[in-house]
Amino acid sequence: MPVWHDTTKQFVKDGKLVLLGVTQEQHQERCRLFAQWKGFEWPILHDPINVLGSSAVPIVLAIDEHGIVRSARPNPKTFEADFVNKTFADDAKNAAADPTPAHPPRFDALKAAAEKGASAPTWRAYGDALALWGGAARASDAVAAYQKAVALDPKDGAAWFRLGATLRRRYDAPARAADDFRAAVAAWGTALDLDPNQYIWRRRIQQYGPRLDKPYPFYDWVPEAEAAIRARGEKPVPLPVRPDGAEIAKPAKAFAGAPGAPANPDPNGKIARDPGAVACEVVTVPAAVKPGDSVRVHLTFRLAPKGTEHWNNEAEPLRVWIDPPAGGATSARLVEAEKLAAATSSEARAVGFEVQVPKDAKGTVRVPAYALYHLCDDDGGLCRLVRLDVTVEVRVK
Amino acid sequence: MAHRTLSALALLACSAGPAVAAPPAVGERHPDFTLPELATGKPKALADFRGKKVLLIQFASW
Repeated sequence: MPVWHDTTKQFVKDGKLVLLGVTQEQHQERCRLFAQWKGFEWPILHDPINVLGSSAVPIVLAIDEHGIVRSARPNPKTFEADFVNKTFADDAKNAAADPTPAHPPRFDALKAAAEKGASAPTWRAYGDALALWGGAARASDAVAAYQKAVALDPKDGAAWFRLGATLRRRYDAPARAADDFRAAVAAWGTALDLDPNQYIWRRRIQQYGPRLDKPYPFYDWVPEAEAAIRARGEKPVPLPVRPDGAEIAKPAKAFAGAPGAPANPDPNGKIARDPGAVACEVVTVPAAVKPGDSVRVHLTFRLAPKGTEHWNNEAEPLRVWIDPPAGGATSARLVEAEKLAAATSSEARAVGFEVQVPKDAKGTVRVPAYALYHLCDDDGGLCRLVRLDVTVEVRVK
Repeated sequence: MAHRTLSALALLACSAGPAVAAPPAVGERHPDFTLPELATGKPKALADFRGKKVLLIQFASW
Protein backbone atom coordinates (compact mmCIF):
# COMPACT_ATOMS: atom_id res chain seq x y z
CA MET A 1 0.00 0.00 0.00
CA PRO A 2 2.90 2.40 -0.36
CA VAL A 3 1.17 4.13 -3.28
CA TRP A 4 -1.79 5.09 -1.12
CA HIS A 5 0.48 6.01 1.75
CA ASP A 6 2.27 8.49 -0.50
CA THR A 7 -0.84 9.71 -2.29
CA THR A 8 -2.75 10.50 0.89
CA LYS A 9 0.03 11.72 3.18
CA GLN A 10 -0.81 15.42 2.75
CA PHE A 11 -4.57 14.86 2.95
CA VAL A 12 -4.10 13.06 6.26
CA LYS A 13 -1.80 15.79 7.53
CA ASP A 14 -4.37 18.44 6.57
CA GLY A 15 -7.13 16.57 8.39
CA LYS A 16 -9.07 15.93 5.19
CA LEU A 17 -8.81 12.16 5.31
CA VAL A 18 -8.31 9.21 7.63
CA LEU A 19 -6.27 6.33 6.31
CA LEU A 20 -7.37 3.13 8.05
CA GLY A 21 -5.68 -0.21 7.41
CA VAL A 22 -6.83 -3.74 8.15
CA THR A 23 -4.61 -6.78 7.88
CA GLN A 24 -5.70 -10.41 8.03
CA GLU A 25 -2.23 -11.80 8.68
CA GLN A 26 -1.76 -14.53 11.27
CA HIS A 27 1.12 -12.82 13.11
CA GLN A 28 0.42 -9.21 13.96
CA GLU A 29 4.05 -8.36 14.78
CA ARG A 30 5.09 -9.01 11.19
CA CYS A 31 2.64 -6.43 9.90
CA ARG A 32 3.80 -4.01 12.60
CA LEU A 33 7.36 -4.50 11.35
CA PHE A 34 6.21 -3.90 7.78
CA ALA A 35 4.40 -0.70 8.82
CA GLN A 36 7.49 0.47 10.72
CA TRP A 37 9.67 -0.21 7.67
CA LYS A 38 7.36 1.68 5.32
CA GLY A 39 6.71 4.51 7.78
CA PHE A 40 2.95 3.87 7.97
CA GLU A 41 1.77 6.03 10.84
CA TRP A 42 -1.94 5.54 10.25
CA PRO A 43 -3.96 3.11 12.36
CA ILE A 44 -3.88 -0.52 11.24
CA LEU A 45 -6.36 -3.02 12.67
CA HIS A 46 -5.68 -6.73 13.05
CA ASP A 47 -8.22 -9.24 11.79
CA PRO A 48 -6.41 -12.61 11.95
CA ILE A 49 -9.64 -14.60 11.81
CA ASN A 50 -11.12 -12.56 8.94
CA VAL A 51 -14.31 -11.44 10.64
CA LEU A 52 -14.63 -8.91 7.83
CA GLY A 53 -15.30 -11.85 5.56
CA SER A 54 -12.98 -10.62 2.84
CA SER A 55 -12.16 -13.16 0.19
CA ALA A 56 -8.96 -11.52 -1.08
CA VAL A 57 -6.72 -8.50 -0.56
CA PRO A 58 -5.95 -5.77 -1.39
CA ILE A 59 -9.31 -4.08 -0.96
CA VAL A 60 -9.49 -0.29 -1.10
CA LEU A 61 -12.71 1.50 -0.23
CA ALA A 62 -13.32 5.24 -0.17
CA ILE A 63 -15.90 5.88 2.55
CA ASP A 64 -17.43 9.33 2.90
CA GLU A 65 -18.22 11.37 6.00
CA HIS A 66 -21.56 9.57 6.39
CA GLY A 67 -19.97 6.13 6.28
CA ILE A 68 -21.14 5.50 2.72
CA VAL A 69 -18.89 3.67 0.26
CA ARG A 70 -18.21 5.98 -2.69
CA SER A 71 -15.61 3.97 -4.56
CA ALA A 72 -14.48 0.35 -4.39
CA ARG A 73 -11.33 0.90 -6.43
CA PRO A 74 -10.43 4.57 -6.34
CA ASN A 75 -7.88 5.92 -8.76
CA PRO A 76 -4.90 7.48 -6.97
CA LYS A 77 -4.50 10.03 -9.78
CA THR A 78 -8.03 11.41 -9.49
CA PHE A 79 -8.63 10.62 -5.84
CA GLU A 80 -8.41 14.22 -4.64
CA ALA A 81 -10.95 15.55 -7.13
CA ASP A 82 -13.22 12.50 -7.08
CA PHE A 83 -13.35 12.06 -3.32
CA VAL A 84 -11.25 14.22 -1.01
CA ASN A 85 -12.53 17.58 -2.24
CA LYS A 86 -16.14 16.50 -2.75
CA THR A 87 -19.00 16.93 -0.32
CA PHE A 88 -21.40 14.03 -0.29
CA ALA A 89 -25.07 13.87 0.69
CA ASP A 90 -26.29 11.28 3.16
CA ASP A 91 -28.11 9.31 0.46
CA ALA A 92 -27.25 5.75 1.39
CA LYS A 93 -29.57 3.03 0.18
CA ASN A 94 -29.36 1.31 3.54
CA ALA A 95 -29.98 2.58 7.04
CA ALA A 96 -27.36 3.88 9.41
CA ALA A 97 -25.11 1.24 10.90
CA ASP A 98 -26.02 -0.28 14.22
CA PRO A 99 -24.21 1.19 17.19
CA THR A 100 -20.82 -0.36 17.76
CA PRO A 101 -21.03 -3.19 20.33
CA ALA A 102 -19.38 -2.61 23.66
CA HIS A 103 -15.72 -3.53 23.80
CA PRO A 104 -14.27 -5.57 25.24
CA PRO A 105 -17.28 -7.83 24.63
CA ARG A 106 -19.01 -9.57 27.49
CA PHE A 107 -17.68 -13.10 27.18
CA ASP A 108 -20.15 -14.49 29.72
CA ALA A 109 -23.13 -13.11 27.82
CA LEU A 110 -21.86 -14.51 24.51
CA LYS A 111 -21.21 -17.88 26.12
CA ALA A 112 -24.70 -17.93 27.61
CA ALA A 113 -26.14 -17.04 24.20
CA ALA A 114 -24.14 -19.84 22.58
CA GLU A 115 -25.29 -22.40 25.13
CA LYS A 116 -28.88 -21.26 24.77
CA GLY A 117 -28.84 -20.96 20.99
CA ALA A 118 -26.84 -24.13 20.44
CA SER A 119 -26.14 -23.06 16.85
CA ALA A 120 -22.96 -22.70 14.83
CA PRO A 121 -23.30 -18.89 14.47
CA THR A 122 -23.67 -18.32 18.21
CA TRP A 123 -20.71 -20.53 19.07
CA ARG A 124 -18.72 -18.90 16.28
CA ALA A 125 -19.57 -15.46 17.65
CA TYR A 126 -18.36 -16.52 21.09
CA GLY A 127 -15.19 -17.90 19.52
CA ASP A 128 -14.67 -14.66 17.58
CA ALA A 129 -14.88 -12.59 20.75
CA LEU A 130 -12.40 -14.84 22.55
CA ALA A 131 -10.03 -15.01 19.58
CA LEU A 132 -9.94 -11.26 19.05
CA TRP A 133 -10.16 -9.97 22.60
CA GLY A 134 -9.33 -12.83 24.95
CA GLY A 135 -5.59 -12.93 24.36
CA ALA A 136 -3.44 -16.03 24.49
CA ALA A 137 -4.96 -16.95 27.85
CA ARG A 138 -8.35 -17.63 26.21
CA ALA A 139 -7.02 -19.35 23.08
CA SER A 140 -8.11 -22.78 24.31
CA ASP A 141 -11.61 -21.48 25.05
CA ALA A 142 -11.74 -20.01 21.53
CA VAL A 143 -10.65 -23.35 20.08
CA ALA A 144 -13.38 -25.13 22.06
CA ALA A 145 -16.03 -22.63 20.90
CA TYR A 146 -15.09 -23.06 17.23
CA GLN A 147 -15.01 -26.84 17.65
CA LYS A 148 -18.60 -26.67 18.89
CA ALA A 149 -19.52 -24.48 15.90
CA VAL A 150 -18.12 -26.91 13.34
CA ALA A 151 -19.63 -29.89 15.16
CA LEU A 152 -23.06 -28.23 14.86
CA ASP A 153 -22.48 -27.19 11.25
CA PRO A 154 -19.64 -29.01 9.48
CA LYS A 155 -20.22 -26.76 6.43
CA ASP A 156 -19.39 -23.56 8.32
CA GLY A 157 -16.21 -22.70 6.45
CA ALA A 158 -15.57 -19.50 8.40
CA ALA A 159 -15.64 -21.42 11.68
CA TRP A 160 -13.21 -23.98 10.25
CA PHE A 161 -10.82 -21.24 9.12
CA ARG A 162 -11.01 -19.44 12.46
CA LEU A 163 -10.50 -22.71 14.31
CA GLY A 164 -7.30 -23.16 12.29
CA ALA A 165 -6.10 -19.63 12.97
CA THR A 166 -6.72 -20.03 16.68
CA LEU A 167 -5.00 -23.41 16.82
CA ARG A 168 -1.96 -21.95 15.08
CA ARG A 169 -1.99 -19.03 17.51
CA ARG A 170 -1.95 -21.45 20.43
CA TYR A 171 0.80 -23.43 18.72
CA ASP A 172 2.95 -20.28 18.66
CA ALA A 173 2.34 -19.67 22.38
CA PRO A 174 3.76 -21.45 25.44
CA ALA A 175 0.40 -23.18 25.99
CA ARG A 176 0.70 -25.13 22.73
CA ALA A 177 -0.62 -28.62 22.37
CA ALA A 178 1.53 -31.02 20.37
CA ASP A 179 -1.07 -31.48 17.65
CA ASP A 180 -2.04 -27.82 17.21
CA PHE A 181 -0.22 -27.07 13.97
CA ARG A 182 -1.33 -30.28 12.25
CA ALA A 183 -4.91 -29.66 13.42
CA ALA A 184 -4.72 -26.04 12.17
CA VAL A 185 -3.66 -27.17 8.71
CA ALA A 186 -6.42 -29.77 8.64
CA ALA A 187 -9.02 -27.13 9.66
CA TRP A 188 -7.80 -24.68 6.99
CA GLY A 189 -7.96 -27.47 4.42
CA THR A 190 -11.57 -28.26 5.36
CA ALA A 191 -12.46 -24.57 5.07
CA LEU A 192 -10.89 -24.28 1.64
CA ASP A 193 -12.59 -27.44 0.40
CA LEU A 194 -15.89 -25.76 1.32
CA ASP A 195 -14.98 -22.56 -0.53
CA PRO A 196 -12.04 -22.82 -2.93
CA ASN A 197 -12.49 -19.16 -3.94
CA GLN A 198 -11.62 -17.84 -0.48
CA TYR A 199 -8.13 -16.47 -0.98
CA ILE A 200 -7.63 -15.28 2.61
CA TRP A 201 -8.02 -18.92 3.65
CA ARG A 202 -5.94 -20.22 0.75
CA ARG A 203 -3.05 -17.88 1.56
CA ARG A 204 -2.90 -19.16 5.15
CA ILE A 205 -2.20 -22.67 3.86
CA GLN A 206 0.17 -21.46 1.16
CA GLN A 207 2.15 -19.54 3.77
CA TYR A 208 3.29 -22.87 5.18
CA GLY A 209 2.94 -24.94 2.02
CA PRO A 210 5.12 -26.26 -0.81
CA ARG A 211 6.87 -24.06 -3.36
CA LEU A 212 4.76 -25.32 -6.26
CA ASP A 213 1.65 -23.89 -4.59
CA LYS A 214 3.14 -20.55 -3.57
CA PRO A 215 2.12 -17.31 -5.29
CA TYR A 216 5.13 -15.54 -3.73
CA PRO A 217 7.58 -15.87 -0.83
CA PHE A 218 5.51 -14.48 1.99
CA TYR A 219 8.08 -13.04 4.39
CA ASP A 220 11.32 -12.79 2.42
CA TRP A 221 11.23 -9.04 3.04
CA VAL A 222 11.84 -9.34 6.80
CA PRO A 223 15.69 -9.18 6.84
CA GLU A 224 15.69 -6.24 4.40
CA ALA A 225 13.15 -4.42 6.55
CA GLU A 226 15.07 -5.03 9.77
CA ALA A 227 18.32 -3.85 8.21
CA ALA A 228 16.71 -0.68 6.84
CA ILE A 229 15.10 0.12 10.20
CA ARG A 230 18.40 -0.40 12.03
CA ALA A 231 20.14 1.82 9.48
CA ARG A 232 17.71 4.57 10.46
CA GLY A 233 18.84 4.17 14.06
CA GLU A 234 15.58 2.55 15.14
CA LYS A 235 14.92 -0.78 16.82
CA PRO A 236 12.83 -3.12 14.64
CA VAL A 237 9.61 -4.53 16.04
CA PRO A 238 10.70 -7.87 17.51
CA LEU A 239 9.17 -10.99 15.97
CA PRO A 240 8.29 -13.68 18.53
CA VAL A 241 7.87 -16.17 15.68
CA ARG A 242 10.49 -15.61 13.02
CA PRO A 243 9.53 -16.66 9.51
CA ASP A 244 11.71 -19.33 7.97
CA GLY A 245 11.47 -22.39 5.77
CA ALA A 246 8.22 -22.39 3.87
CA GLU A 247 7.40 -18.85 4.90
CA ILE A 248 10.35 -17.42 2.98
CA ALA A 249 10.71 -20.04 0.24
CA LYS A 250 10.46 -18.82 -3.32
CA PRO A 251 7.72 -20.19 -5.58
CA ALA A 252 8.71 -22.85 -8.12
CA LYS A 253 7.13 -23.95 -11.38
CA ALA A 254 8.54 -27.46 -11.24
CA PHE A 255 9.38 -29.75 -8.36
CA ALA A 256 13.07 -29.43 -7.56
CA GLY A 257 14.52 -32.75 -6.55
CA ALA A 258 17.30 -33.26 -4.08
CA PRO A 259 20.51 -31.58 -5.25
CA GLY A 260 23.77 -33.54 -5.24
CA ALA A 261 24.24 -36.89 -3.62
CA PRO A 262 24.96 -36.48 0.09
CA ALA A 263 26.07 -39.53 1.99
CA ASN A 264 23.61 -41.26 4.26
CA PRO A 265 25.11 -40.58 7.70
CA ASP A 266 23.79 -43.79 9.29
CA PRO A 267 22.96 -46.20 6.45
CA ASN A 268 22.94 -49.29 8.63
CA GLY A 269 21.06 -47.79 11.54
CA LYS A 270 23.84 -48.39 14.05
CA ILE A 271 23.57 -45.12 15.97
CA ALA A 272 21.77 -45.54 19.30
CA ARG A 273 18.13 -44.59 19.36
CA ASP A 274 16.92 -41.67 21.45
CA PRO A 275 15.21 -43.19 24.51
CA GLY A 276 12.75 -40.29 24.73
CA ALA A 277 14.72 -37.12 25.28
CA VAL A 278 13.28 -35.52 22.15
CA ALA A 279 9.86 -35.66 20.50
CA CYS A 280 9.23 -34.86 16.85
CA GLU A 281 6.08 -33.17 15.59
CA VAL A 282 5.28 -33.89 11.94
CA VAL A 283 2.99 -31.61 9.95
CA THR A 284 2.34 -31.71 6.22
CA VAL A 285 0.95 -28.67 4.42
CA PRO A 286 -1.56 -29.04 2.92
CA ALA A 287 -3.02 -31.88 4.96
CA ALA A 288 -3.84 -33.90 1.82
CA VAL A 289 -2.81 -33.68 -1.84
CA LYS A 290 -3.77 -35.09 -5.21
CA PRO A 291 -1.53 -37.72 -6.86
CA GLY A 292 1.58 -36.07 -8.32
CA ASP A 293 1.28 -32.95 -6.15
CA SER A 294 3.69 -31.88 -3.44
CA VAL A 295 3.52 -31.05 0.25
CA ARG A 296 5.73 -29.10 2.58
CA VAL A 297 6.84 -31.19 5.56
CA HIS A 298 7.48 -29.38 8.84
CA LEU A 299 9.45 -31.35 11.44
CA THR A 300 9.78 -29.74 14.85
CA PHE A 301 12.00 -31.31 17.49
CA ARG A 302 11.37 -30.47 21.13
CA LEU A 303 13.23 -31.62 24.21
CA ALA A 304 11.11 -33.37 26.82
CA PRO A 305 9.75 -30.63 29.12
CA LYS A 306 11.01 -32.23 32.32
CA GLY A 307 14.09 -33.85 30.86
CA THR A 308 17.66 -33.17 31.89
CA GLU A 309 19.19 -33.06 28.42
CA HIS A 310 20.03 -30.13 26.15
CA TRP A 311 21.20 -29.67 22.59
CA ASN A 312 24.98 -29.86 22.31
CA ASN A 313 25.83 -26.92 20.03
CA GLU A 314 29.54 -27.65 20.01
CA ALA A 315 28.90 -30.68 17.82
CA GLU A 316 27.23 -31.01 14.41
CA PRO A 317 23.78 -29.50 13.95
CA LEU A 318 20.63 -31.61 14.02
CA ARG A 319 20.39 -33.42 10.68
CA VAL A 320 17.51 -35.25 9.04
CA TRP A 321 17.98 -37.91 6.38
CA ILE A 322 15.02 -38.49 4.08
CA ASP A 323 14.31 -41.46 1.81
CA PRO A 324 12.07 -40.47 -1.12
CA PRO A 325 8.97 -42.62 -1.65
CA ALA A 326 9.09 -45.05 -4.56
CA GLY A 327 7.91 -43.20 -7.66
CA GLY A 328 8.02 -39.87 -5.85
CA ALA A 329 10.68 -37.35 -4.90
CA THR A 330 11.90 -35.13 -2.08
CA SER A 331 13.43 -31.66 -2.28
CA ALA A 332 16.41 -32.82 -0.23
CA ARG A 333 17.95 -35.99 1.13
CA LEU A 334 19.72 -34.36 4.03
CA VAL A 335 18.60 -31.19 5.82
CA GLU A 336 20.08 -29.42 8.83
CA ALA A 337 18.55 -27.30 11.57
CA GLU A 338 20.08 -24.04 12.70
CA LYS A 339 21.89 -24.12 16.02
CA LEU A 340 22.60 -21.39 18.53
CA ALA A 341 25.99 -19.96 19.42
CA ALA A 342 25.73 -20.99 23.09
CA ALA A 343 27.38 -24.29 24.02
CA THR A 344 24.05 -25.82 25.00
CA SER A 345 20.45 -24.75 24.52
CA SER A 346 16.94 -26.15 24.71
CA GLU A 347 14.92 -24.34 22.05
CA ALA A 348 12.63 -26.10 19.58
CA ARG A 349 14.41 -26.97 16.34
CA ALA A 350 12.69 -27.07 13.00
CA VAL A 351 13.54 -28.35 9.56
CA GLY A 352 11.46 -28.44 6.43
CA PHE A 353 11.49 -30.13 3.06
CA GLU A 354 9.06 -31.01 0.32
CA VAL A 355 7.71 -34.31 -0.92
CA GLN A 356 6.20 -34.97 -4.31
CA VAL A 357 3.92 -37.99 -4.11
CA PRO A 358 3.83 -40.48 -7.01
CA LYS A 359 1.37 -39.80 -9.82
CA ASP A 360 -0.35 -43.10 -9.10
CA ALA A 361 -0.38 -42.63 -5.33
CA LYS A 362 -3.41 -43.72 -3.33
CA GLY A 363 -4.27 -43.67 0.35
CA THR A 364 -1.22 -42.70 2.36
CA VAL A 365 2.34 -42.22 1.11
CA ARG A 366 4.93 -42.98 3.76
CA VAL A 367 8.31 -41.26 3.71
CA PRO A 368 10.91 -42.78 6.03
CA ALA A 369 13.33 -40.36 7.65
CA TYR A 370 15.52 -40.13 10.68
CA ALA A 371 17.12 -37.37 12.70
CA LEU A 372 20.57 -37.34 14.26
CA TYR A 373 21.40 -34.92 17.03
CA HIS A 374 23.84 -34.38 19.84
CA LEU A 375 22.59 -34.08 23.40
CA CYS A 376 24.28 -33.34 26.70
CA ASP A 377 22.88 -34.55 30.00
CA ASP A 378 22.85 -31.92 32.75
CA ASP A 379 23.06 -34.51 35.53
CA GLY A 380 26.01 -36.64 34.45
CA GLY A 381 27.54 -34.33 31.88
CA LEU A 382 27.37 -37.11 29.32
CA CYS A 383 27.19 -35.95 25.70
CA ARG A 384 26.13 -38.32 22.94
CA LEU A 385 24.85 -38.63 19.39
CA VAL A 386 21.44 -40.26 19.07
CA ARG A 387 18.99 -41.12 16.33
CA LEU A 388 15.23 -40.69 16.12
CA ASP A 389 13.33 -42.52 13.38
CA VAL A 390 10.43 -40.58 11.87
CA THR A 391 7.82 -41.60 9.33
CA VAL A 392 6.15 -38.81 7.40
CA GLU A 393 2.68 -39.78 6.24
CA VAL A 394 1.22 -37.85 3.32
CA ARG A 395 -2.49 -38.33 2.77
CA VAL A 396 -3.55 -38.58 -0.86
CA LYS A 397 -7.02 -37.34 -1.91
CA MET B 1 9.64 -7.55 -2.51
CA ALA B 2 6.98 -7.35 -5.13
CA HIS B 3 3.44 -6.42 -4.28
CA ARG B 4 0.69 -8.34 -5.85
CA THR B 5 -2.80 -7.48 -6.88
CA LEU B 6 -5.77 -9.76 -6.83
CA SER B 7 -8.78 -9.05 -8.90
CA ALA B 8 -11.29 -10.97 -6.84
CA LEU B 9 -12.70 -8.40 -4.48
CA ALA B 10 -16.09 -9.86 -3.70
CA LEU B 11 -16.72 -10.23 0.00
CA LEU B 12 -18.47 -13.11 1.65
CA ALA B 13 -21.10 -12.93 4.28
CA CYS B 14 -19.57 -13.52 7.65
CA SER B 15 -20.27 -14.26 11.24
CA ALA B 16 -22.29 -12.76 14.00
CA GLY B 17 -20.42 -10.88 16.69
CA PRO B 18 -17.98 -8.16 15.78
CA ALA B 19 -18.35 -8.81 12.09
CA VAL B 20 -19.46 -7.04 8.97
CA ALA B 21 -22.64 -8.75 7.83
CA ALA B 22 -22.36 -8.30 4.08
CA PRO B 23 -20.07 -6.85 1.44
CA PRO B 24 -20.78 -3.15 1.12
CA ALA B 25 -21.47 -1.95 -2.40
CA VAL B 26 -20.82 1.53 -3.72
CA GLY B 27 -23.66 3.72 -2.48
CA GLU B 28 -24.25 1.64 0.62
CA ARG B 29 -23.28 2.54 4.12
CA HIS B 30 -20.35 0.45 5.28
CA PRO B 31 -21.32 -1.74 8.25
CA ASP B 32 -19.48 -0.88 11.39
CA PHE B 33 -16.81 -3.17 12.81
CA THR B 34 -14.41 -3.11 15.74
CA LEU B 35 -10.98 -4.71 15.73
CA PRO B 36 -7.80 -4.47 17.81
CA GLU B 37 -5.35 -1.83 16.67
CA LEU B 38 -1.97 -3.33 15.79
CA ALA B 39 0.12 -0.82 17.68
CA THR B 40 -1.84 -0.85 20.93
CA GLY B 41 -4.18 -3.86 20.92
CA LYS B 42 -6.99 -1.46 21.86
CA PRO B 43 -10.38 -1.55 20.12
CA LYS B 44 -10.86 0.74 17.17
CA ALA B 45 -14.15 0.98 15.26
CA LEU B 46 -14.92 2.30 11.82
CA ALA B 47 -17.62 4.38 13.54
CA ASP B 48 -14.89 6.20 15.49
CA PHE B 49 -14.22 8.11 12.27
CA ARG B 50 -17.81 9.07 11.43
CA GLY B 51 -17.90 12.62 10.12
CA LYS B 52 -14.55 12.16 8.37
CA LYS B 53 -13.64 10.75 5.01
CA VAL B 54 -11.94 7.38 5.33
CA LEU B 55 -9.81 5.41 2.92
CA LEU B 56 -10.16 1.83 4.17
CA ILE B 57 -7.38 -0.44 2.96
CA GLN B 58 -7.25 -4.16 3.55
CA PHE B 59 -3.77 -5.39 2.77
CA ALA B 60 -1.05 -7.88 3.61
CA SER B 61 2.65 -7.31 4.01
CA TRP B 62 3.59 -9.83 1.30
